[in-house]
Amino acid sequence: MVRVRGSGHGNLHDRRRFLGAVGSLAAAGALSGCGSPVGQAFTGSAGPPSLLNFWHPFTGGDGAQLDAMQSAYRKENPGVDLKTTTLVWGAPYYTKLTLATLGNRPPQIAITHVSRLPTLAASGLLREISGSELEEHGLTPDRFKKAAFRSAHHDGRLYALPIDTHPFVLYYRTDVAKKAGLLDEAGRLTDVDGPEKFLDALRAAKQATGVWGGSIATVKDPATCWRLFWSLYRQLGADLITDGGRKVVMDVGAAEEALAFIHRMAAEKLIPPGADGDGGAITLLTSGKAGFLMDGEWQLLAVQGAVKDKFDMRTFPRIFRDAPYACAADSHAFILPSAPSEKAQRAGKALEFARSMLDESLLWAKGGHIPAWQSTERSDAYHRLEPQAHYRDAADSAAYDPAAWYSGADSNLYRRFSDVVSSVVGGDTRPGPGAARMRAAIKDLAGMEAPV
Amino acid sequence: MSTSTSVHLGAGTGAPATGKPGGGPGSGTARWTASGMLLPFGFFYVLFLLGPLVYTAVAGFFNDSLVKDGTGEWVGTANYAEALASPEFWSSLGHTLWFTVLTTVPLILLALTLALMTDRFSRGKWFFRLAFFAPFMLPSSVISLLFMWIYADQIGLAQGVVKWFGVNAAPSWLGDPDWAMISIAAATVWWTVGFNFVIYLAALQEIPRDVYEAAAIDGAGPWQRLRLVVIPMLGRATTLVAVLQLVASLKVFDQIYMMTNGGPDDATRPSLLYIFQTGFTDGRAGYASTVALLLFVIILLISLVWFALIRRTEKEG
Amino acid sequence: MTTLTPAAPPSTPQTEPSRSRRRAGHTDSERLFNRVVLGVLIALALLWLVPIAWAVATSVRPPNDIATDPTSWLSENSTLSSYQEILSAGRIQYWYVNSLITSSLTTLLAVCTTSLAAFALSRLNFRYRRPVFLVILAGVMIPPQLLMIPQFLTLQATGMLNTYWAVILPQVPNVVSVFVFKQFFDGIPVELTDAARADGASWLRIYWQIVMPLSRPAISAVTIFVFVWSWNNFLWPLLAVTDPQMMTLPVGLNSVQDAFGLPQAQLMASAVLGALPLLTVFLFFQRRIVEGIAGTGLK
Repeated sequence: MVRVRGSGHGNLHDRRRFLGAVGSLAAAGALSGCGSPVGQAFTGSAGPPSLLNFWHPFTGGDGAQLDAMQSAYRKENPGVDLKTTTLVWGAPYYTKLTLATLGNRPPQIAITHVSRLPTLAASGLLREISGSELEEHGLTPDRFKKAAFRSAHHDGRLYALPIDTHPFVLYYRTDVAKKAGLLDEAGRLTDVDGPEKFLDALRAAKQATGVWGGSIATVKDPATCWRLFWSLYRQLGADLITDGGRKVVMDVGAAEEALAFIHRMAAEKLIPPGADGDGGAITLLTSGKAGFLMDGEWQLLAVQGAVKDKFDMRTFPRIFRDAPYACAADSHAFILPSAPSEKAQRAGKALEFARSMLDESLLWAKGGHIPAWQSTERSDAYHRLEPQAHYRDAADSAAYDPAAWYSGADSNLYRRFSDVVSSVVGGDTRPGPGAARMRAAIKDLAGMEAPV
Repeated sequence: MSTSTSVHLGAGTGAPATGKPGGGPGSGTARWTASGMLLPFGFFYVLFLLGPLVYTAVAGFFNDSLVKDGTGEWVGTANYAEALASPEFWSSLGHTLWFTVLTTVPLILLALTLALMTDRFSRGKWFFRLAFFAPFMLPSSVISLLFMWIYADQIGLAQGVVKWFGVNAAPSWLGDPDWAMISIAAATVWWTVGFNFVIYLAALQEIPRDVYEAAAIDGAGPWQRLRLVVIPMLGRATTLVAVLQLVASLKVFDQIYMMTNGGPDDATRPSLLYIFQTGFTDGRAGYASTVALLLFVIILLISLVWFALIRRTEKEG
Repeated sequence: MTTLTPAAPPSTPQTEPSRSRRRAGHTDSERLFNRVVLGVLIALALLWLVPIAWAVATSVRPPNDIATDPTSWLSENSTLSSYQEILSAGRIQYWYVNSLITSSLTTLLAVCTTSLAAFALSRLNFRYRRPVFLVILAGVMIPPQLLMIPQFLTLQATGMLNTYWAVILPQVPNVVSVFVFKQFFDGIPVELTDAARADGASWLRIYWQIVMPLSRPAISAVTIFVFVWSWNNFLWPLLAVTDPQMMTLPVGLNSVQDAFGLPQAQLMASAVLGALPLLTVFLFFQRRIVEGIAGTGLK
């Protein structure tokens, strides 16, 4: 026994040293106190009351605007430790938001697309915002754009505070339009509403550029494909799903008609068969190879940066007259993910922050978005913004996504439908079979066991 | 793929194998002591491996939701029917297999070649080991950051190199559905070849030198020595490397999630990402469990084939 | 070939010199061939270092430099400003600490529990030893990644998500470690433990005072590998921890951006910073790590 111990002594020593090192490390973590981030990480506590966590998925132009908007709040609330986190956009963002809330440690306030709201709310992940809280922070319904505020509800309850409406719009090069004879005396685009008129305009622009008439991202960009289709489909007055996505009421004829129009643009080679969403479509406009661009208004800063004032914007054309004018749109909104306790929720502080951000809406509008905050939307300062002023009516005709667990920003619905749109533009699918494929896809999605 | 390390753990070396379990057969204290000693590990094992496996098998028959309490309602084999009829299930499985083919084959051949070349030199091995093995130590997110930059459109190194060779229209490495998986596989080969390289190198050093010499005396040229002596003696290492690689590739997730998140147009989405998306993004825990169980069965079958192969080679030996 | 023991291969030490002599004595053509092989090998090794070198080169370039000439290696005004930016953002420091704490505790718990279980399986004679062993053996074939949903639900039910424990606990049952330990313990002469038994020592005492001190190679192998594996684990911490301040290094590097979008130089600086810890570990423990891998399952 003694002999054994002796021979193993060196090893024993090393082992103790190793275990000791690991142990002291853990102890150091624990000792650094329950209030410290490391301590919190062991106990899972929500951190000091001064902490306000804010999550958003904005980078680029939007990110910079949002950053500027926060500085006012920071200045006025030096006692609040505002921690802003930018997370990668898209489905991963919503997955993270869901996991954080399920994991009892959501941010106190976060940005969502209202198109994702039905799923988040039905999953019980959001805290309802009460009327008295709205009063308290001066956030009463009359201070918001009507359509946007309505979209922030689920089952008649308010879960979000919209900051904008961001529609699908039409960009055009003023120099190309002028060359193509598409400008009136005031320098504004002539009437391009109606299928023939818009196609004529594209043809004229194609003549002027010598390459394409218009541009749209149909590759690697499911959202843009969806927005194009949804704008046209809604202009035809058709509905897609009801009952929270469980019942399909798709109008196959309308879908075919919408696809047929898309097909005409592509078949006449007025738009490129496969411009990508990583800048390809925009570059065609900014480099003068296309006169028009169909995209979201948030590309404003990018386009402006490239072509300065040689462009303008307007609402997406009214192609069909079967229903009131509609264009695909969504809204960004503040939500309060439900926290495990009121203490961790910090709803008052979060709403105060939201209010401060809404007051800075003009900065947000500079990035292209139409403010939901009425005192900004009605202000002269906003009305003077160009080209923002030329498409702000779109907010009143916003066609939001249909509510379903599989719809909304970067959703399965986008992926399935964009497949068809993309392939129609690429010339691989005819409108008829395309509409049939859409119907099969939506039936498939609606038939799945809903998780909410 | 780096997670495969857990399976490859080398044993401590040395110690002559003379031990036999003691403890006095049937002694009552031994039973209690044994239970006590197995308990801590058993606790974690049951809670985080065995239990979840049983749960996965059971949950596949319910419409369990991630965001609702309880296990949901019994739906029989509806989830299985949906999965087996779903083009997304099959396409993700197809991508997984395609990735497996794209990585396993070069990872074996390249590692073998590199090891054979390195084995010719008695000095400087540390340098080659460092160069080829170091990437294996890096976290998948570092790999993804590096290669997203290398593969970047217009400004990336890879397009620059291709252009330098006179190709004008360099593909969008991660953006082109036809190229994305190949690009990810190439990054993976760079990342993990060192592991197989090290195994082959060790196996090569185990080949007794007299075998070489005997073959040389018999008049075998270098190529024949390689083909007839060395490669067969590496059979066991090859089996090992192939199966570990196969199993690791079937579980690919990290680098694809980070570099393309399954895109473009789902062209790189592997099975595990499909499980992740249906389970955590869509919140369909029951359906995702079904898919997980199906993938488990596939991986299990491949593991069993491995054991069968090992058995056979051992018998032959 | 039945056992692969790189630490002391029986034949290598004697044959190594004779082998190089044999080579030295060979023909000119073989010498030329060797030189070509060496050239190719060095070229490949350098090629293998390119991605890392490229990241380092990018990370020290000023951002506007990259915009004007993205695929250039050198910059006239090299700067460490990107590193300063990353460090002053103050996130990566948390991720380092989080990774260090979770990996260390995972390793500690895994080493303790698996060695204890392996000791029982190796030394104690109890009734269900074989079935227990087989059940644990079967665990090798359960890929933990496939169990992410029930693991998540389990930790959610216990309210432990978004704590270190959520990251640590599911990584503890490392089945392979049990085998590494058992195999090693089987090799420790039974006389040692028998003698201690005769002296009246308890099994726990034998485990702690005799067997473990003798098992340093196994402990270090398991320590290194569990540590590296849990440090690099991505999928599970991605699910278990969502608070940016609590993320482990790999998850943080992937998830968090900057409102302005990080410039390439900063992305590469964070990649280099993310690579540093384990590269350092590798440089220090190169031999041990490589030997550990080489000993893989060939036994």
